[in-house]
Order: sequence, then C-alpha cells, then structure tokens
Amino acid sequence: MRKYGPGGVLLAPAVLVAVVFSIVPLIYLVRVSLTSESTFFFASPENTLDNYRTIWNRYLPHVWTTIRLATAASFFDLIFGFPFAYILVRKIQYRDVVRVLMIFPLFGPLYLTYGLRFVFGANGPLAPLLDFLGLDSRTLLFAYPEQLTIIGMAIFTFPFMVMNIAAALTNVDPTLEEAARTLGAKPRQVLTRVLLPLSWPGILAGFLMCFGWNLGVFIVAMLLGNIEQQRVLSLTLYQKAMSQFDYGLGAAMGIVLMALAFSVTWLSLRFSRGALGA
Amino acid sequence: MARVRLVDVTKHYGDTVAVDRVSADIEEGEFVTLLGPSGCGKTTTLRMVAGLVDPSDGQILFDDQVVNRVPTHRRQVGLAFQSHALFPHMSVAKNIAFGLTNTRVAKSVVNARVQEMLELIEMPDFADRMPGQLSGGQQQRVALARMLATDPRVLLFDEPLSALDRNLRDTLKYSILELQRRTGKTAIYVTHDQSEAFAISDRIFVMNQGRVEQAGTQLDIYLRPETAFVAKFVGDNNALPGVVTTVTAGDDGQQTVVVDSIGTQLRIEGTSGIGVGDHVVVFVRPENIEVVANDEAVMAAGIVEGLVDQIVFEGPTVRLTVVVNGHPLSVNISGVDRLTLLDTQSRTVRLALNQPAIVKQNGNSVE
Amino acid sequence: MSAITPTRRLEPRNRLNPGALLSALQHVYIWVWLVIFILPFLTTVVRSLETPQGGYSIEAYRFAWNAFSPNLWISVKLTVATILINLVIAVPAAFAIIRHPVPGKRFVLSALNVSLYTPGAVMGLSLAITYAYLLKIQGTTGGLIAAYTVGTFPLMLVPVIVALRDLPEVYGEAARTLGASRLRTLLRIELPLLGPGISAGILLTFVIVFNEFLVTLFIAGKSDQPAALVIYGLLGRAGFAPSTAALAAIMQFTSFMVVLLFFKVFGSRYLKGTYLG
Repeated sequence: MRKYGPGGVLLAPAVLVAVVFSIVPLIYLVRVSLTSESTFFFASPENTLDNYRTIWNRYLPHVWTTIRLATAASFFDLIFGFPFAYILVRKIQYRDVVRVLMIFPLFGPLYLTYGLRFVFGANGPLAPLLDFLGLDSRTLLFAYPEQLTIIGMAIFTFPFMVMNIAAALTNVDPTLEEAARTLGAKPRQVLTRVLLPLSWPGILAGFLMCFGWNLGVFIVAMLLGNIEQQRVLSLTLYQKAMSQFDYGLGAAMGIVLMALAFSVTWLSLRFSRGALGA
Repeated sequence: MARVRLVDVTKHYGDTVAVDRVSADIEEGEFVTLLGPSGCGKTTTLRMVAGLVDPSDGQILFDDQVVNRVPTHRRQVGLAFQSHALFPHMSVAKNIAFGLTNTRVAKSVVNARVQEMLELIEMPDFADRMPGQLSGGQQQRVALARMLATDPRVLLFDEPLSALDRNLRDTLKYSILELQRRTGKTAIYVTHDQSEAFAISDRIFVMNQGRVEQAGTQLDIYLRPETAFVAKFVGDNNALPGVVTTVTAGDDGQQTVVVDSIGTQLRIEGTSGIGVGDHVVVFVRPENIEVVANDEAVMAAGIVEGLVDQIVFEGPTVRLTVVVNGHPLSVNISGVDRLTLLDTQSRTVRLALNQPAIVKQNGNSVE
Repeated sequence: MSAITPTRRLEPRNRLNPGALLSALQHVYIWVWLVIFILPFLTTVVRSLETPQGGYSIEAYRFAWNAFSPNLWISVKLTVATILINLVIAVPAAFAIIRHPVPGKRFVLSALNVSLYTPGAVMGLSLAITYAYLLKIQGTTGGLIAAYTVGTFPLMLVPVIVALRDLPEVYGEAARTLGASRLRTLLRIELPLLGPGISAGILLTFVIVFNEFLVTLFIAGKSDQPAALVIYGLLGRAGFAPSTAALAAIMQFTSFMVVLLFFKVFGSRYLKGTYLG
C-alpha cells in the first residue's frame, strides 16, 4: 500500500478526468449507437443493430470517401514532406524561422480553410499564376473540389509529417550518407539504401499520424469540397445527430470513425519512438 | 566512538542483493575509500549512509545514534556527486548558500559564509556566475564548497572526479584531500579507480558483489591481499595454484609455508591459518619478478626457469610473458639492462619470484 | 556539401555548379512551403481590410471588436481556466508516472491519452450525449472547460513528462543532502527546473483551446460562444464578410504572438515530441 500510495494519489485527478469526460462518454457512444434514433434518451430505448446495417447498406460510400481523402492527403504529405524534412534537418541554418512559420497550420483547419477560400477564390493572390497555368481562377473553387479538399487537408497535417520524419532523420548519422557516397553510391542509392531504411519507422509513424488526423476532416471538406467530399463521416454524423436528431445513426458513424482512427493510432504508436515511446 | 558505523547493512532489490552485510567503523577525521568494480554495491552503500536509499536490513549509526529512520535532509551529510549536480538555475553564490538557507540563518551570516567558501576553493570572484559558465573543474570545486558550507558531520563522495579528464582528476583529488585534512571531517569516498583510492585514503574497503572483501591500509591491500578478488583487482597479479607441502610455525604465531606450484617450491613467510595439503593460490606481482643470471645467487621466494613467449616495450618498463611449466607469467622489468640476461638462442630465462601472497582456495572462487 | 557532389568524376569547375543550383532549389522548396503556410493568413488579413467600394480601411476591425469582444473575452477565460486545471492535474500525474511505481503504467498512460486520438466530431458527439443525458451540463461554461481539459491535458502531460524524465534526480538528492525538505526541494529546485517543460504544456494548451471550434460546436450553448465558434457560425450567415475575416485575423495574430513570445523566452527545446518540436 505504501509502495503504490503516492503514485496513485498523484495520478488520481488525471485518471478521474479522463474516465468521466473521455472513457465514459465513449462507452455511452457505443451504447447509443445500438439504439434507434433518439430513443436512448427515453425511459425504454429501442435496442437495435439497425444503425450499423444502415451504414453498411447506405453509407459505405461515405466511409470510402473518408478513407480516400485521408489516404490521398497523407500520401501528398509524405511525398512533399520527406524532402522538406530532409532539407530542414541537413541543409537549413534558419530552422527557427521555419518552425515559427510552420505554426500557422497548428491554429487549426478553420482559419486555414477560411484563408484558402480567399487564396483560391476569384481575384485571390494566386489568380495571375492560375490564369497563366490555364486554370480559371473565378471557377477554380467549384471546378476542383476533390483536389482542393485534399490540398487543404494536406497543408493542415503537413507539419505532423515533417515533425516525425525530421525526428527520424536527426537520428541518422550524416556520416553514414558520406560513407555511402565515398563507397560510390549515387544519390538515389543513398536514399533507397541508407536514408529510407534508417528513417522508416519515423516515416510510417508520420504517415499514420497524418492519416489519423485526416480521417477526422470536417471544416476542410465543408468549405472546399462539394457534395461528394462533404460526405465524410465527421460532417455526416454531425448532420445526422445534431440536425436530424438521429443520435443512434450519428453515434454508430462515430464508432466506425473511431475504430478507423484508433486502429491507425495503435499502429502509429507501435512504430513511433515519440515522446511517450517509453 | 566511531563517527560512522555500519552494522550488517544490507540492501535487496527484489531477489538481487546489492549490498550484503557490510560492516564498518569509521573514525572521526578518517578518510575511507570504498573501492570496487561497477555494480559492487559501493555507491548503494554510500547512498544508504546519505539516506537516499533505505537499507533492507542492518543499522547505520552516526556518533552511536541509529539514523536509519532519519531523512536525508536531517542527517547533516555532505554529498559530492559524479555530475557535480550544481543547480543550473542558481548562481554560484546561490548554490553555495542553498544549504544554509534551508535553516534559519541570518542573511549576513550566509553571505559571509559564502565568501569564506569561495575563498576556500580559490574562486573568490565567481559568486555571480552561473554553473553553465564554469569549467568542469570549477564546477566540481563549487560543488565541494556547497557541500562544506553547511558544516556537515560527514563528507560523502560518489566518484566525484570520474567525469573529469585525467589531469584535472589528479589535481582535484589532492584538493579534496587537502580540504578534508583542513576541515578534519570524516570522509567516505567511492571510486573504482585504484590510483585515486591509493593516493588519498587512510583506509580502503575493497568491495565485490555487495560484500567487503578486505579493509585495510594501502599496504595491507597491496601486499597482503586476503582474498583472490583483492589480489587480482588491485594491480596486476600472477595467480599460481598450488598445494601446501610444509608448514613451520614461528614464535610469533606466524607461519612459514612451502607451496608446490608450477613445478617448483615457493616459500612464503608471515602467513596464518594454513595447513599442510591445503589447496592455495600464490599471487606474485609482475613487478616483483626479477630476471636473474644463471649463476647469480639470490634470495627469493622461489626461482624458476621459463621460455620467453612475448616481449612488449612500454617505454620505462618492458613486459615479458614467460611460460613456466605451461603457466604463462607476466613479468615487468624496469630498465633494459636486465634484458641482456635473456638467452636469445634458447629464449630461456631465469626468474626470481619475490613478495608472494597466499590465498586459500575454497570452492570455486579462484579459477 | 550537397547530395550530388561527384565523388568519382573529377572534372574542371564549370560555369554552372550543379551543387550550388541544387542547394538554391532546396531553399526555394522550403520557402514555397513557408509561403503556403502563411498565405491563408495574409490573404485573410488583406480581405479583412478591403471595403465594398474597393478601398482599404480598418472599419471591419472596429466592427468586429465592437460585436465580438465579449466572445474573445470568453475564449480567453476558457483558455486560462483550462490551463490552470491542466496544470493541477497534469503536473502531479507526470510526477506519478516518472517518479513512482504505478501498476500498469503504459495502460494508464494510453487511457489518459485516448482523447488525443479521438476525432473531434466523435469526441464532440460523445460529450454532447453524456452532457445531455448523464451530467446535465450541456451548454454550460463548466461543460466546455471539462471538454477542453480532457482534450488537452495530454498536451500538458507530454512536455512535463519529457522535462521530468530529462531532469536528473541528482538535483533533488543534492538539495536533500543539503538539508532541504521534500516540499522545499520541489518548490525551489524541481519545479523551477521543470519550468520550460511546464511552459510548453501551457503553450500547447493555449494554442488548441483558444482556437477550438469543432468539439465546441457540439456542446456549446447558443449564447456566450467562444470566438472560434463565432467564426464558424458566421460562415453560414455572414459568409466571407470582412468582419469575419477580421475576427479570424485577430485570433491568429494573438495566437502567433503568444507562440513567438514563448520561443523568445524558452526556445523550442521543450516542444520536442510535440507538434511544434
């Protein structure tokens, strides 16, 4: 008792908060997902698996849209994030400037997406460039909802990717690259035979972390997408539960989204050696 | 009255025994070193004296008062850490004053004491520096000043020099000794470095696997090792297994024994408790083996002939490996003149073995 | 020093050094991304200054300030309250996790961090249901603070754990051998040395809570809404009016200044392992 005493007491408030405001609500969410519409709030809720059947029969495209957008945005992050992280770690002296400017996406997707509406909108700052490329800046927002949604999501999650890969690359001794080069490896071979194998866990962790965040996309799809992109689960469950008061179906969608996000997180924790990877 | 007394002090961590029934009486003003390889329990012993680790068993007494239950901050000990452990967010003066401000002491007294300490370590102008601005040696000196400022009853040193480079280590170990002599305080010093232990101690406790193998002066430890571990750990030693053939008891209760080992008879004086037929190990240090001419008459514990296997020049000394009846012996020769005695044709050499030490072989504690 | 320094072909220095070109391109690549990060903010600022007549004025800011300063104030209050609660529960928890034996430590840590991995909409819905059905705090300030606390205290916990793990125990031990009690050791030595880690936690909590809108959307009441939710609400009603842009610019500018201040004072060392590391 004396052995576990102080640790338990110190930990108690945190555990209490987590249980009451995180664990219990999630358990309730599961419970509600097994009832019909908003009958959970009545004295005798109608228990049913119908919500999951409905998702299977009618909302599978919504699930796929969510996964498709998250996958595309995460690959976008990976392809552009790796060179960014590499240059940042190995070549750049003004890392603090980069760090400071990279903060803006952290303020959340709301302002970011809101700003992107102006950036891509008619008379936006990119209009000359877009017109030069033959894209009509006045109709861009409506012509490319899929691409713009993916780009918006990717910008928001880009720093997560860079952070993870940069952390992994920092741990790769630069002399290994030099050794490979003196042994006659071409740049591409240095990349595929030294850098990628050694930073692989960080890359995977970064990808999965971005994927987890992108699964929860809400405002980006709402402001940059059209009906197709707005089918993502977060938006749909909000409409079902908060506008149409079908709590059962909304909760079931939440559970599906949750299951997707947790399996991804579980994978990423297994691969990451982040702050908590004790 | 011993200032610090340990009675069968023991520390278990689960099933592993870190410190095994260590007992010691340390006198007022004495400088005692706990010497041993890493993991031998010396640091744990020291931390138990400091109160940072609770003993599983046994008693720790300061001035005949049991202090087992006294928390660290009331034990009035000073502890010097391997990493100086200066508080990085406080100036040198604040660090030194920290111990004083833990008790109710007037500010003027604190300031005077801080200045006194700064002068003691010959850094009078460093009061406002931060620890990060000091060199390694300066940091360790400030740590010593901080430890001495509160006038502790016992000074404890946990390998305070091991993080420093060699030259600094040599100077600082004498500074530590001088500070201890000048203040007349009891000191317990933990190290794995024999030369450090031999240079500054009044008494050395050699520890191994949680136990004290031998306690004694430098000469005791070096010349009269009581266990095979001590013989091997302190300095270099040749271990020669053998059987006792004769024992002659002298008037003073000491024995002279003859051991049959590596095909010769070795005579060892001043032993005790050895019987005929005992299996023993005779230890002879490389520097106590001499190369002698074939016709030279010498007084030695034993004379053997062997075949030179290897010669390594190490500047002032020459290190030979000589095989005697299948046993390789390390031999250190100072000066090259003795090398002329080597027969380059047959590569045989005659060796005189001096100052042997004998340890009874019990069980399998000796290879 | 570039990736394509030729190691086998030794040729005379030519006019266009490929190494220098590649190096320049690398810097350009970084800067293109930095522009992408900051462009939405800058465009928002420009839009907030535009007038329907085609000129520029700060009228929108005056309007936004008059209309929304109570909401900004609510955001500040919610953020401060959350930070204080986070400190009270996360700092002891970090000590427990690093310094004390806790059975099932990994499991406890995962349970504490569950909210960090829960998509915002899912957390919002689960809290909305629980608040309405079980806790009866739907639409209250307390409900919002509770949601923010559970959502962000892992962000306080992580930097403090990192700082505490990196803090050698010898400082505490040294203080105790010098006669300091446990409490004094904690107050004079350990908490000051954890300062940067705790500050990092405060910064992360601030950045997230101050700008949170999604969970808020599910559980906030119709009145007394925090500023970020007001912006979300205005998107549906006032669209992309300059006053909305002005409010968004104010929020981002405030957040940015706080982060800059933090970097100035503490550097970025203790943000390692977090988004800002």
